[in-house]
Amino acid sequence: MRPTAAVFVFRLLASLDRALSALCALVGRAVAWLTLGMVGLTFAVVVLRYGFDFGRIYLQELITYMHAAVFMLAAAWTLRLGGQVRVDVLYRAMPPRRQAWVDLLGSIFLLLPTAAVLLWLSYDYADKAWALREASRETGGLPFLYLLKTVLPVASGLLLLQGAADICRRIVELARTES
Amino acid sequence: MSWALALFALVVLALLAGYPVAFTLAGISLLVAGAAAMFGVFDLALLLTLPSRVFGIMTNDILIAVPLFVFMGVTLQRSRVAEDLLNALSRLCGALPGGLGLAVLLVGVLLAASTGIVGATVVTLGLLALPGMLRRGYDPSVACGAICASGTLGQIVPPSIVLVLLGDVMSSAFQKAQLDMGIFSPRTVSVADLFAGAVLPGLALVGMYLAYLLVTAWRSPERLPAGKHEAEEPLAPGELVSALVAPLALIVVVLGAIMGGFATPTEAASLGAVGSLMLARREGSVGAAMLRDIAHDTARTTSMVFMVLLGASIFSLVFRGLGGDALVHEWLTQLPGGVVGAMAAVMLLMFVLGFVLDFIEITYVVVPLVGPVLLMMGLDPVWLGVMIAINLQTSFLTPPFGFALFYLRGVAPDSIATGQIYRGVLPFIALQLLMLGVLALWPGLATWLPERMFGF
Repeated sequence: MRPTAAVFVFRLLASLDRALSALCALVGRAVAWLTLGMVGLTFAVVVLRYGFDFGRIYLQELITYMHAAVFMLAAAWTLRLGGQVRVDVLYRAMPPRRQAWVDLLGSIFLLLPTAAVLLWLSYDYADKAWALREASRETGGLPFLYLLKTVLPVASGLLLLQGAADICRRIVELARTES
Repeated sequence: MSWALALFALVVLALLAGYPVAFTLAGISLLVAGAAAMFGVFDLALLLTLPSRVFGIMTNDILIAVPLFVFMGVTLQRSRVAEDLLNALSRLCGALPGGLGLAVLLVGVLLAASTGIVGATVVTLGLLALPGMLRRGYDPSVACGAICASGTLGQIVPPSIVLVLLGDVMSSAFQKAQLDMGIFSPRTVSVADLFAGAVLPGLALVGMYLAYLLVTAWRSPERLPAGKHEAEEPLAPGELVSALVAPLALIVVVLGAIMGGFATPTEAASLGAVGSLMLARREGSVGAAMLRDIAHDTARTTSMVFMVLLGASIFSLVFRGLGGDALVHEWLTQLPGGVVGAMAAVMLLMFVLGFVLDFIEITYVVVPLVGPVLLMMGLDPVWLGVMIAINLQTSFLTPPFGFALFYLRGVAPDSIATGQIYRGVLPFIALQLLMLGVLALWPGLATWLPERMFGF
């Protein structure tokens, strides 16, 4: 490959990485605010139940929805920020290039297959729920079960994108530190 | 060579490479499932249940307590509540020999509980307390030992998220064990049972740690010297109340609500989260940026915990599909010594796994496999949960692989030799082993309180 072509490819990979990671970060930062909502709503439910003997199933379900959205949709963003726990007994002591190799190979052979299988399987799962406009099985529950199920393929898709971004990033990093 | 065994070995090897645990568990399991399917030993149709399994995790009501407890812990750590508590306690008992050590121990136990991640707790304590202890002239090995030990002890003192996770897993293991034995109206065990079971052993350990520090300070005061300045600036009653009593009251209210049966762990956790925000607000440190940081930290920690849970659930699906649970059952029931031998083997296995895996992984990967078998042999689920918790905590403290030691090493100044850290934790390990022995001989220490409170 001629040097200019190589530079062009690496620039492309780097901007791809930036764009995809920014998307995942945007989603993650947005759903993170739901944690405050969960605290407030759960507290409100407790006060209403014990203070006013008022309890509604849809309030409970709303808390569940927020909870599921937070940890599923923040997963890709968390991965990028290094927040997904590692067994770092050996990893910590590795030189940066070897760490980059671990991340590159891990993204390709572990993360991508997982995210792809989950996306593929859960697409049908959510699709069926959409066709029925599936609602809560509880009377008085929220009629949006299909939206909750949609979180699954969306989160898998985000992980897939973040995996692609990480691969770009590690390739650029390995190429840059080669000499 | 069985496929299930190969899967387990491959997972452990791959984990050591250091790619995030959640996706290593899931990725290796799916790859092995694919390979096994080609040889006709795995039915790929099993994977079709994956979406509904993940959905089950998303809608598990018990686990909603986790983000709320994390929120509470993050708020206490990020605001100055923890710092002020440490300051107040060290001024209160700093004039005693060993007083600062006691303060660190108590703060560690109180504030570590809600994060549930060994690293975070030990790092926070190391940054917060270690410089002050060294300035005071504490023997570095005693200081490091106290920090590592109290940072990990917080994991098993309720309300810790480790006990929430363990309670959730133990309750399904107990269900499964009884169904397998043909009991179709099974008894249940809950997170609250496990909280209640962990109270007495946890407090006993705190007491033993405190006694150890006091005895050491009494026999060799130069290792834990008393402060000289504390006597000059006594603590005003107002300060004492705001820095000390309020956080203590918060923990007591949260625990009391759960164990008194007034609130579910999730509801109590929301009280704790709101309470911690109020405490932080009084410190004057809650602005929009602070709230955002708390929300981000909470979301990321929660996501990490649940991604491991998701990865472990994919692993156990494939492991079962390959006949792994039959293998585990056979192995455990054929061990010499019956239930004692099986229990000893499991504890040893977990102790060793504790060198490479964190609490969450072991809870979700190992406990669902061995739990039902041990419970079918007649062990008490609360007792088993508490034994596992203390065993793992000991593992995290044990040189040279213990998690806590690595993390403290990371934040300790270079002037402290690694050997000093190792020497410092040895007495605490001895106390842990003593506690395990006592609990093995008198299971009532764990089971008495839940029986009293819930008639379990």
